[in-house]
Amino acid sequence: MNEVTSLILRRMRMPLILIISVYSISILVLTLIPGVDDNGNVWHMSIFHAFYFVSYTATTIGFGEIPYPLTEAQRLWTVIIIYMTVITWFYALGTVIALMQDKTFIAVSKRSRFRRDVKNMHRPYYVVCGYGETGRAVVDALLEEHFGAVVIEILEDISDRGLNDTLEYVPNLTADASDPAMLEIAGVDQDKCRGVIAVTASDETNLKIAISSKLLHPDVTVVCRSEYKEHENNMLSFGTDHIINPFESFTSIFSMALHSPSMHLIYEWLTGAPDVSLSSPIDIKPGHWILSGYGRLGKQLHHELLKKNIRTVIIDPDEKTRETFIRSDHADDQFIIGTGTDAPTLLQAGIESAAGVIAGTDNDSNNLSIIMTARQLNDNVFVVGRQNLMSNELLYSKINEHYRKSRKNKNEDISALAHLVMQPSEVIARKIRAILIAPLLIDFIQYALNEKQEWANITISRLSAVVGDNPPNIWTVNIGKDKTPAIAQALGYGRRIELRHLIKDPVNHDKNLRCIALLLKRGDELILLPEDNLELKAFDQLLFCGLRKVKHTMSPTLRDLSILNYVMTSKNEPQAYIWKKLTRLLSTQDRRSSRR
Amino acid sequence: MNLEKVIFSFFMILALTLNFGFFYGEIDDAQHHNVYELFAVIVVNLIATVMKFGDKSQMGAMLLATSLVAMVQLIGASIVWVFAVHIHQTGLTPGTVSTIVALSGGAMLANIISVILLMIEASMFRR
Repeated sequence: MNEVTSLILRRMRMPLILIISVYSISILVLTLIPGVDDNGNVWHMSIFHAFYFVSYTATTIGFGEIPYPLTEAQRLWTVIIIYMTVITWFYALGTVIALMQDKTFIAVSKRSRFRRDVKNMHRPYYVVCGYGETGRAVVDALLEEHFGAVVIEILEDISDRGLNDTLEYVPNLTADASDPAMLEIAGVDQDKCRGVIAVTASDETNLKIAISSKLLHPDVTVVCRSEYKEHENNMLSFGTDHIINPFESFTSIFSMALHSPSMHLIYEWLTGAPDVSLSSPIDIKPGHWILSGYGRLGKQLHHELLKKNIRTVIIDPDEKTRETFIRSDHADDQFIIGTGTDAPTLLQAGIESAAGVIAGTDNDSNNLSIIMTARQLNDNVFVVGRQNLMSNELLYSKINEHYRKSRKNKNEDISALAHLVMQPSEVIARKIRAILIAPLLIDFIQYALNEKQEWANITISRLSAVVGDNPPNIWTVNIGKDKTPAIAQALGYGRRIELRHLIKDPVNHDKNLRCIALLLKRGDELILLPEDNLELKAFDQLLFCGLRKVKHTMSPTLRDLSILNYVMTSKNEPQAYIWKKLTRLLSTQDRRSSRR
Repeated sequence: MNLEKVIFSFFMILALTLNFGFFYGEIDDAQHHNVYELFAVIVVNLIATVMKFGDKSQMGAMLLATSLVAMVQLIGASIVWVFAVHIHQTGLTPGTVSTIVALSGGAMLANIISVILLMIEASMFRR
């Protein structure tokens, strides 16, 4: 039985029994009291009449004294009936209303609705645990790609508030996701569940989610957010597919930027970072770096700088951190005790000649203050900012405006306040998006990192030629019977299909679609930016980048053999049986008429 | 001793005994079957049914089902009675009486099953 009905029935037991008892006593006594009919004879109400009488009296309908006027004795009993039954009815109704407002009841009915919604999910879905900043971004990305999403969030106000502004209804449950029973309710063990994304604030919860998900449904993809190494190892041992550490992710982005600014730009642009334009690669000048905040992030960034043999000055207010720093191997770099928010410390660190400043403390106000001070002292310095809370984004942009205003009269082109902002939830969300929606993108980036700066520059110019200023869209095409039946069929006939055929506009053969093939994966072989005349084979995986609508424009070529023929031969061929006959007939008639 | 169990069993067994009392006698003789007894059977059965509401166990579901069957039969019997006496006003002919008693006999069977289930459940709780 349904949980909700069972709860209602259980609560209604007492009121119902009371109603039955009151009714039966009323009916019984009514039939026993003698009445008088219209001829003055003694008359007893039958049980049926008594039931009728009590029914309309108890519900305050009150048809009157039917069928004969009551005697005084009957009236006395009727008064008692009225008070007894009406009060009992009110009690029963009151119980129902109280139940509707009951916290447990609301929770139970919400849960059972959630369970039903998950069961009725008709497309593949992902379970997102934790609807914080990251969770929200991931859900948006999933919905955009027409996947289903199911959300479990422990805080009631968050799941209520956040899910109201998505246009699409997302089943959501206010519950602790580390409880395996909740994951089961969320449908982790269902066939349609593609993956579980554990992005709650606590590493431990994420670990528990990863373990239970893998046990409930071994085939499911599990993506976990983790900030500590020991948890990561634990997650790995349970077969977690992807573990994302915000600090490591940002460090690799930072390292990419140091290594090749153009490559970094491509990465940012492809993974859908906001406000990234292909026309503005970052520019890092040679010189030493100032790193403020030597915590988890600071240590990793310092490591990257060391790898590149860049001298670093570290600023941290903690004396103990300094001691451990001095004891470590790379103690050649300077360590200054301070916060870096004031000019003297920054001047001591040599801000005037520095190439870059990293504001990497775990306090947003301090970071903002460091950035402001640093840019006032040296306007050409490259600024890396760590933004801990997304809600502080407003502050970051405000201070940008403020800075712009104060410098207006100098008429300079002032780029964003911080050139590179590390925003943990955004970094994670983008990475998860890439993993879920275009796994080949990760391959592409990793492979492309081996290429030189010139390669990246050429790629940028090719990409911007195709896409222009529009935001890019990434999609994967798997050559095979399921996704590309037309191509699979044509390949089966032994025809040679080249990459350039796919890029042709299926409406106008002379035009190319505005997209570019980034990567071709054939078995273990990866081909970066494959040539147009590359021959396609079955089971190839292609990564495309282009305008959003192009993905859909391309799909007929992949699915419809006649359209594939058109893009390959530029001829329209009749498809249906009758049309084939007709065209043949017409062409013979044409020949006859021309003969005459 | 559990008071809830006592009351629960009391109503179920009372439903059966009253049902038997109504059922017992010549099947077509109206003298042997009192209308108040039928009324009592219906009321007690109703209470027994409501008491079984909301029990999620398999046994609870079975008990509820038997009670619902008894209710359907008894309400059928009372409707036949109302039709005969009030609507067609033919009175209690031997034919109607035997229909009513037969229906209550079916209800009694359901009540017997219900009591048997109750006994099985009780025997499982040996401490």
